[in-house]
Amino acid sequence: MRLIARYAKELEKAFEIITVYEGEMQREQVDKESPIIKTLAKQHPSAIWFERKMHDDFGIIIEDTFDKRPLVHQERFPKDTHPLIKDFQDKTLKEAAYLPYKYEEISGDGVFQVAVGPIHAGIIEPGHFQFSQAGEEMLHLEVRHFYKNRGIEKMLEGKTLMDAKPVIERISGNESIAYQLCWRDIVLQASRQELPLSLQKRHAFLLELERVIHHLTDLGFIPNDAGFGAALAYASKLAEDARRLMQTLTHHRFGFGGITFENTDIDLVPMQKWIGKMQENVLDFETWIMDIPSLWDRFDTTGTLSFKKAVKYDTVGVVARASGIAMDRRATLFYLEHGFVMAHETGGDVAARFKLRLAEVKNSLAMMSNFLEEDDTQMEIHTLQDGEYMSFCESSIGELFMAVDIKEGLIERFVVRDPSFVNWQALHIMMQKDIIADFPLINKSCDLSYAGNDL
Amino acid sequence: MIQFWNKRIKLGILTENPEHDEAFKLIQKEIKERVKKKFAGSLAIRMVDSGSCNACEAECNALSNPYYDLERLGIYFVASPRHADVMLLSGLMTFNMTPHVFDAYRQMPEPKWIITLGECPAMKSPFENSFAINAPAEDHLPITHHIPGCPPEPKEIIEGLLAFLRKI
Ligand code: SF4
Repeated sequence: MRLIARYAKELEKAFEIITVYEGEMQREQVDKESPIIKTLAKQHPSAIWFERKMHDDFGIIIEDTFDKRPLVHQERFPKDTHPLIKDFQDKTLKEAAYLPYKYEEISGDGVFQVAVGPIHAGIIEPGHFQFSQAGEEMLHLEVRHFYKNRGIEKMLEGKTLMDAKPVIERISGNESIAYQLCWRDIVLQASRQELPLSLQKRHAFLLELERVIHHLTDLGFIPNDAGFGAALAYASKLAEDARRLMQTLTHHRFGFGGITFENTDIDLVPMQKWIGKMQENVLDFETWIMDIPSLWDRFDTTGTLSFKKAVKYDTVGVVARASGIAMDRRATLFYLEHGFVMAHETGGDVAARFKLRLAEVKNSLAMMSNFLEEDDTQMEIHTLQDGEYMSFCESSIGELFMAVDIKEGLIERFVVRDPSFVNWQALHIMMQKDIIADFPLINKSCDLSYAGNDL
Repeated sequence: MIQFWNKRIKLGILTENPEHDEAFKLIQKEIKERVKKKFAGSLAIRMVDSGSCNACEAECNALSNPYYDLERLGIYFVASPRHADVMLLSGLMTFNMTPHVFDAYRQMPEPKWIITLGECPAMKSPFENSFAINAPAEDHLPITHHIPGCPPEPKEIIEGLLAFLRKI
């Protein structure tokens, strides 16, 4: 059973621990006075980050865990401060005495540590990678994040769902449409309404466009990290074209504010032409790039995540599908009727993730053409009713999960688990047997979000 | 391979996209001249993300795509603050990133400037102040110029860089 998320919320006298599995949910209450629970890490290694976060957020103690280090809170974070507790209302924090973080390290004759980050050499987000090296060979990697933690879960408490939207669409810029779709589904659940088919199509069109932009960017950056800059020039040109289309359709290059309950007329003819041209360009790119042996020398067998490990670590999205797991939140009747074909690779290496992205871009473009429809449906949203709601969406990275509790019309608890949160925890597995120069390539082939992970 | 070269020749040079109007050409010309005069022909920028949503970074990356090709104006993104004239600071300054931003700033050789990119570092994006945020950045660091937008489009970043060059 795949672990999707594990998180806590504060009730009056207890903490409720919610564990979401594929097709099942478990609830457990622990007394606030002695909030002690048992770890799930033995069955699900990916539970470790969820549990360490729970401790940072609420002070919940994971009795039998082997990893009791803080996760979100860093060296200068005040001790015994648990900001998601309702009583915690401070708007500023004072820096506490520096408490060094103990990295997972391998020691031994000739083994040394390489610390990379949090600020990296390129234009990328901050995060820390700690390598234990024996010469060129990577023995171990610890991924350490949450430098970008903005306290979003707390920030959204006490807001209405509508007021929360501008923040939700800015949690992870590359996945803005996906976040908005999770938000949309929660709004619809809370208002007990159904979305008209034409709006469903418009939203699905935008989600696929977002995927095309994100995948094309990666299809350029992955070869670039193997020293092949020409691919970046070509793919980034295509990505820019797609981004401009996003701007035409939503008045924003990243689609911020793009998901609404109004349909606006799209001119079908130029749009179909645009899609046709893009399909042609992607095919050209494919024939060219598949024919460069030195590139595939670097891609093949690099950064392999076996099917077994991909399952064990509960991975999702591109990473999971490239390792042979057939799982995609778009595998629904609606998507299948519009031409969805699940991309599938078995290699689990950089090559597999690259080819998977190519296949997905082509499928997204085909679906986009099927989603097009002339329509100007509008929809009035009814009053939102209190309750607990959950939604899923397949972002360009993978399965996005959102859970919102509404009490007296306001958000009581906001939870979101970016696909990156689980996939980051599997990254160190891919590094074994590779050399350190492969790291940027492997990291880019997964292209995980730091912002969505850190919240 | 031959297919590729045929295509390549047919496509021509993209940087001279007719979409880029005359006014924009003038901006680029002025940037080039000012970079030449004030920075001996090359302005080195160190991008530091202190808690963005990554859209601001994506737009900076877009500056190197064939449409904009910023390097042609003498502006480079460099890998270390020790090579930089300017720090381009994006994102909400988070509690966790603050010490690292200070570190990067200390590493930069004098004379040095900071430009804030996007609404986040100025605390003007929809994010509210929370325990995890130390923004606005100007409370902690000397900011010379601010490029507004959420995110600023590549063209707006180029215009913003010109405004900065005019200021100093
Ligand atoms: S300014 Fe806007 S686009 Fe830039 S990082 Fe902040 S939220 Fe994202």
